[in-house]
Amino acid sequence: MTLMLDRIVDRVATLPHLPDTVLRLVSVVSNPDSSVEQIVEAIRYDQSLTAEVLRLCNSAYYGLARTIDSLDAAICLLGTSKVFQLVMAAHARTLLGRPQEGYGLPAGMLWLHSAGVATAARLLARRMRLPQMGLLFTAGLLHDVGKIVLNEFVQAQYLEVVRQVTQEGVSFCEAEQRVLGYTHAEAGARLAERWNLPRAMVRCIGYHHTPADLPQADPLVDAVHLADAVCLLLGIGTGHDGLAYRGSATVLRRCGLTELDLESVGAEAVAELRSVQAMFARK
Amino acid sequence: MSTIVVDIADLAVSADPDATLITYSLGSCIGVAIWDPAVRVGGLLHYMLPDSQLSPEKARSNPAMFCDTGVPQLFRAAYELGAVKNRLVVKIAGGSQLLDEQGTFNIGKRNYLALRKIFWKNGVLIQAENVGGNVSRTLKIEIGTGAVSVRSRQEETPL
Repeated sequence: MTLMLDRIVDRVATLPHLPDTVLRLVSVVSNPDSSVEQIVEAIRYDQSLTAEVLRLCNSAYYGLARTIDSLDAAICLLGTSKVFQLVMAAHARTLLGRPQEGYGLPAGMLWLHSAGVATAARLLARRMRLPQMGLLFTAGLLHDVGKIVLNEFVQAQYLEVVRQVTQEGVSFCEAEQRVLGYTHAEAGARLAERWNLPRAMVRCIGYHHTPADLPQADPLVDAVHLADAVCLLLGIGTGHDGLAYRGSATVLRRCGLTELDLESVGAEAVAELRSVQAMFARK
Repeated sequence: MSTIVVDIADLAVSADPDATLITYSLGSCIGVAIWDPAVRVGGLLHYMLPDSQLSPEKARSNPAMFCDTGVPQLFRAAYELGAVKNRLVVKIAGGSQLLDEQGTFNIGKRNYLALRKIFWKNGVLIQAENVGGNVSRTLKIEIGTGAVSVRSRQEETPL
């Protein structure tokens, strides 16, 4: 049974829009020429996001002697990129925090995986000397957003999807394509387009499992692909799909990296993720 | 009945007969469950990577991250609770791989080989294992009975 494309598009239409603040922030950080002031301006007028940033800064994790009561003070304390990451991770938590039964992901797992890929993508960007760290972090957070689109369809066809993976040796993505007619990467790219996210980010989401399908190699897509591979290998937020995805050795080589680099990135990402989790744990 | 969750790059030991040690999301990482039937002491390790030479600093602050530092720490912790090496029953799970024809992303395989090497050097036998493939696994051990089981894709099997 092939799922009609328009049914998935209908499903996309029922999903929430990204808040304007987040869109503004993404477009500001996606531009390498943006200034710190522009990033601050993008958050300043959103009271709930500002409140969330202040709550996180004042969480037990930082153990500060005084209370941080303004965005400027938060930025002085943590730096702009950390504040940006907190805002994005907090928003992604609302979007990705729910259980995704079709993928065997209990509540919080998809967010954990996404935060892991965002962290690993940022660490890889440093090694690959890519300047677009903010864009990569956000692309990492949103790379699997298509899973919230396809979740119920995968759940309905779960046995057939898993049969294809276990008996025919195809990847989970290829099984989605065969059974549903669409992969979670493609569904995610559709959603990202609808949100008017930058084209570079739509490409990262749409091709994170198939970077070699792009007519031209894209280092940003490569970084998200490798960050995802690291998190799948380390079991950061994996579900029934497990490790049933393809890792591209060609991508690893053309990024000038070795498997040991991936191990180092994994070790750092796990340590950083622990502190992120500690920060988001409610007091 | 108490359940102790062992995180990634973490370990726990217990002599509480009502305790269950459990670790989730073993991908290419390996879970090592050990149990001494005479004193009913058990332990569980979830290590990430084969070799601590990758980052001696991380190995110092978090020995359970690596096979070569985590495994000795697991055994030592169990000895402190009265376990004896030659009585220990050892069962392992994990070491999955991505689909990758060239075998480049082979952390799982190297994790497994590192463990075999350290056990061979120290005369430790693996009594049962559930390794490889491309699934994510959950490994659990009941301290009172020593029962070990592995869960992947909604199926639980005793090990």
